Amino acid sequence: MKLKASLGCLRSAILAGLSAACLAGCEVFNGPLSTFIIRSDFARDSYRLFRYTFIWDCIILLTVLVPMVLALFWLTPRTGPQEQEHVEGTSWLEAAWTITPALILISMAIPTIRLTFQNQPPTPPPGALRVRVIGHQWWWEFQYPEYHLTTPDELHIPAGRTVYFDLESADVIHGFWAPQLGGKRDAIPGHVNHIVLTPEKPGEYYGECTQYCGLSHANMRFRVYVDTPENFAAWVKQQQSAPATAAGNDPKVEAGAAVFAAAPCVTCHTIEGVSKGYIGPNLSHIGSHQTLAGSILSNTPENMAKWIRNPEEVKPGAQMPALGLDPVQIDYLVAYLESLK
Amino acid sequence: MAVAVPKEVVKARENYLTEGGLLSWLVTVDHKRIGVMYGLTSLAFMGLAGFEALAMRIQLAQPNNHFLSADLYNQFFTMHGTTMIFLVIMPLGLGFFGNIAMPLQIGARDVAFPRLNALSYWIFLFGALFMYSSFLFGGLPDAGWFGYANLTERFFTPGSREDFWAIGLLILGISSILGALNFFVTIVNMRAPGMTFMRMPIFVWNILVASVLVLVAFPPLTVGLVFLVMDRFLGTHFYSTVAGATPILWQHLFWLFGHPEVYILALPAFGIISEVIPCFSRKPLFGYAAMAYATALIGFISYGVWGHHMFATGMGPIADAAFALSTMAIAIPTGIKVYSWVATLWRGNFVWTTSFLYALAFVVQFTLGGLTGVMHAQPPIDLQQTGSYFIVAHFHYVLGGGSLFAFLAGLYYWWPKMTGRMMNEKLGRINFWLTCIGFNMTFFPMHFLGLGGMPRRIYTYGAGLHWDFWNMFCTIGAFVMATGILFLLIAMVESLTRGPEAPADPWDGRTLEWSIPSPPPVYNFAEIPHVHSKDAFWEMKYGNNPGHKVPEVAAEHEAGHVPHIHVPAPSMFPILLAAGLALCGIGAVAWLRITLVGLLIVYLAIVGIGFEYPTYGEHPSKERGDDIYPLDSRKVGMWTFIGSESLFFASLIGTYMAYKGRDLIGPTAKEILEIPLTSFSTFVLLMSSLLMVLALAGFERGDIKAGRNWLFATAGLGCIFLGGQAYEFNKFYHEGVTLQHNLFGQTFYTLVGFHGLHVLLGVIWLLTLAFASFKDMVPKKRALAVEFGGLYWHFVDIVWIVIFSLVYLMDKVTGA
Repeated sequence: MKLKASLGCLRSAILAGLSAACLAGCEVFNGPLSTFIIRSDFARDSYRLFRYTFIWDCIILLTVLVPMVLALFWLTPRTGPQEQEHVEGTSWLEAAWTITPALILISMAIPTIRLTFQNQPPTPPPGALRVRVIGHQWWWEFQYPEYHLTTPDELHIPAGRTVYFDLESADVIHGFWAPQLGGKRDAIPGHVNHIVLTPEKPGEYYGECTQYCGLSHANMRFRVYVDTPENFAAWVKQQQSAPATAAGNDPKVEAGAAVFAAAPCVTCHTIEGVSKGYIGPNLSHIGSHQTLAGSILSNTPENMAKWIRNPEEVKPGAQMPALGLDPVQIDYLVAYLESLK
Repeated sequence: MAVAVPKEVVKARENYLTEGGLLSWLVTVDHKRIGVMYGLTSLAFMGLAGFEALAMRIQLAQPNNHFLSADLYNQFFTMHGTTMIFLVIMPLGLGFFGNIAMPLQIGARDVAFPRLNALSYWIFLFGALFMYSSFLFGGLPDAGWFGYANLTERFFTPGSREDFWAIGLLILGISSILGALNFFVTIVNMRAPGMTFMRMPIFVWNILVASVLVLVAFPPLTVGLVFLVMDRFLGTHFYSTVAGATPILWQHLFWLFGHPEVYILALPAFGIISEVIPCFSRKPLFGYAAMAYATALIGFISYGVWGHHMFATGMGPIADAAFALSTMAIAIPTGIKVYSWVATLWRGNFVWTTSFLYALAFVVQFTLGGLTGVMHAQPPIDLQQTGSYFIVAHFHYVLGGGSLFAFLAGLYYWWPKMTGRMMNEKLGRINFWLTCIGFNMTFFPMHFLGLGGMPRRIYTYGAGLHWDFWNMFCTIGAFVMATGILFLLIAMVESLTRGPEAPADPWDGRTLEWSIPSPPPVYNFAEIPHVHSKDAFWEMKYGNNPGHKVPEVAAEHEAGHVPHIHVPAPSMFPILLAAGLALCGIGAVAWLRITLVGLLIVYLAIVGIGFEYPTYGEHPSKERGDDIYPLDSRKVGMWTFIGSESLFFASLIGTYMAYKGRDLIGPTAKEILEIPLTSFSTFVLLMSSLLMVLALAGFERGDIKAGRNWLFATAGLGCIFLGGQAYEFNKFYHEGVTLQHNLFGQTFYTLVGFHGLHVLLGVIWLLTLAFASFKDMVPKKRALAVEFGGLYWHFVDIVWIVIFSLVYLMDKVTGA
């Protein structure tokens, strides 16, 4: 009895372990960057074609594996050990395995070509929101010509409206990819690329650079916020207004503003009404952002301070230098930047 | 090991391994020794690449890990890829297996050009060392194995890392082209009498097609690298946007090389599998003819599919669709191969050797890699997968689970032939199962990671992305696989020290290499065999009567007489020439004067090779047994070289045409080119071809003096042409068109300059011949030497006619 019980125990332990492993394994498809979570028409088309090809691939794999296993473990040789079966080829068989794959490939090629043309319309669809995406080493810049807006690393788009992206690069080739919203395209200097997609569901989506672009390629991420049309309109309005600061109430913020204006910050960064630098990200509304520094840090005062203190430590090769500010100055500066809602 | 039917061990008195001391390996021209050296070198670099891979896997085992810095990680993934492709798989497939097995399979005593073969190896070794030496000067290259421009421009990658990468690849490219040319000529011309193309072992077919691919694929890469080196050293703008150029040019040139390269890596593997499976299934290969055609077809289509690497670059729907279709088409001949292997297994009588196990694993793993490849042929799917770990999984299944597994099958298969020792099957089993399980543990989950959105080439990733579990799993797998490879080393050492001696024909093989002793004597075949069918040795053993066994064809070696066979003499020039070439590279990154020394050494070594061999220029030597071959190998070689050179110029001309009209500032071709002057130079150059004919005629009829004078006259006209070019360049320079001025300037100077460089080399060549004739080194019977110089000269002239028409005349015509 005891043995049986312990065996049962063992069995359930193994089962539990296996299912845990299975769960852990399948978790990979539930991540924030999973291509199996589909949130746009573009991603859905890709996924459907993937599924179709995947099914055929499985069938073809079986047509190789099953005869192989049969031949290896089940069939006996037709002749004695030294004798040779002089099968040089069977023409009907060879014709079959030439023509059948060709037909399968044609059945894949038709939707492939249809989608390839559909994904790349020659002109932007009417009513589409145009977003200019500029890749930088190592952060993303998003411009909305329609609304005269510029925002770094965090892209807001309305659900249900087609978005037409113009992809460019300020330096080397980058790859723009938000997997749940659809396939990637490269952002290439001297060349404008396009993606067209219609996001379907409000939410927060992750994105990343997928073309190796130098030292901190891994640290070049971004977020996409698909908003309801109302929220999007509100966001646009907020972004268009001058940055709201709590300057009047907080001496720290005021001191921070002074630090910003006196430090080299102004040469690279724009804060509307304060500075016009354009090499680095536009900081006008940085306090309202969820993330910092190419979306690798969440936007907290500690992270902001860590970044300003020594960008190199957070993002190897970062083009922003350590400014050598003392901790008090950094403290003020962080208070100021976080107040820019 | 059921096959090891005890046979008498047939031993030649001296085999290729034992003859001569250790130093004799430095000057050897024996294809078997060169193969062994290729194998050892590649194995060492595989250890290095494996070390880099393990370090990367440790770094990726956990999110936000700090085992490697970003900088080191980027260096490691770049060099892991570069090493595995250029220093491991390609030299293993062509250099190692091609040298070890191919000449034996076609019943030849050596390759067509033994010294060229040694030269390929030494250039390969020095090129590889050169590239890795960047480690000592500020770090390894770090822009990825396909080094996408414009990241590789000096502005974005300062320092000398990428210089080592680009120049190293240029050096390695020379080695590959020379090696491929050699194999191509060997296979075309030196098959044993009676071995028609359709009787060649299928491995030889694959080496033939792979060699052709090297010859057509490397010129575009060379041109791409030349542009990169010019951008980095001379300040041109081939890949930067400032002058109107585009970094996409690099991608086209690189993948025009890169996709055929995939098949250069895969075809030798297909060939090995097509030998191993029939041998251990004890059946002939199913569908030999279809296999041969499929091989050729794969090679042909592979030249037209490069765009599928670039779907994300926005080539537009028409190009995308065209490349999608051509890429899908390549699945058909590949499918034919896979099904033919399965059909070969059908009702086979298996011998379960380690080699066979590796071959079976190859078929499954390669099929998996091929099937995911079909997905990447479809742009909508590819856009969700390219640049992610799904791609990493895909190409490791093709090149690791495919090519490398096939090479391991081949290593176990030909090891007894190569070393004269059997390998321990027990160790082999451990090696196989650990490697196979480890491989699949490492790379199969990468499909999941890619679908889960993990991009390749990231040195770190955040927590909470759900990638942790499989990354840890992959890392464990990588260590299992590394343990497996460790057992390969153990098995090799065990075999060399304690392994039983191998009989000539341990597997009851089907092809000619099994008809000679293990290890083979220096001269391979005491008598060149006559071939009457495919599976030539099988037919010799068993005839058409399957039950009947005729043993010991190899026994003729036993008779005690060592035949007097003239084998190619060792030569010190290959290693010298390769060292000179390496000096050129070192000079480029260090001190330019070293390059001049290097060039001098290269020149002297070439002259040395040219006049060293006593039979050079004579008709094929009877002693060597070359008289049985239908063509003069050297002529075939020269024409092959010219073919490959044409593609080099085609790539240069293509770039000129692609950049025409994209200039941001003038002056361009229309405003500046002068037809009258160039027409005169063209006339001069064409006249020189005429004089060249007279010179050759002089040498052929034995009138050395006349021949020499005409040679001088030809070279003189060449100099006048060069003078015209110098005048033209100088004039343009003073009008403001410098190399860096605009796109026209850089493409024009590069194209016309490279042609001028060829003319200059031609002049040096002809002058060398002329001066040699004073010393009576070019007698009548060596007129062939002059003929080759002439061929080259005519080729350079023809290229000029093309350039003159396209660059000079066309603009005037269209402009009029």
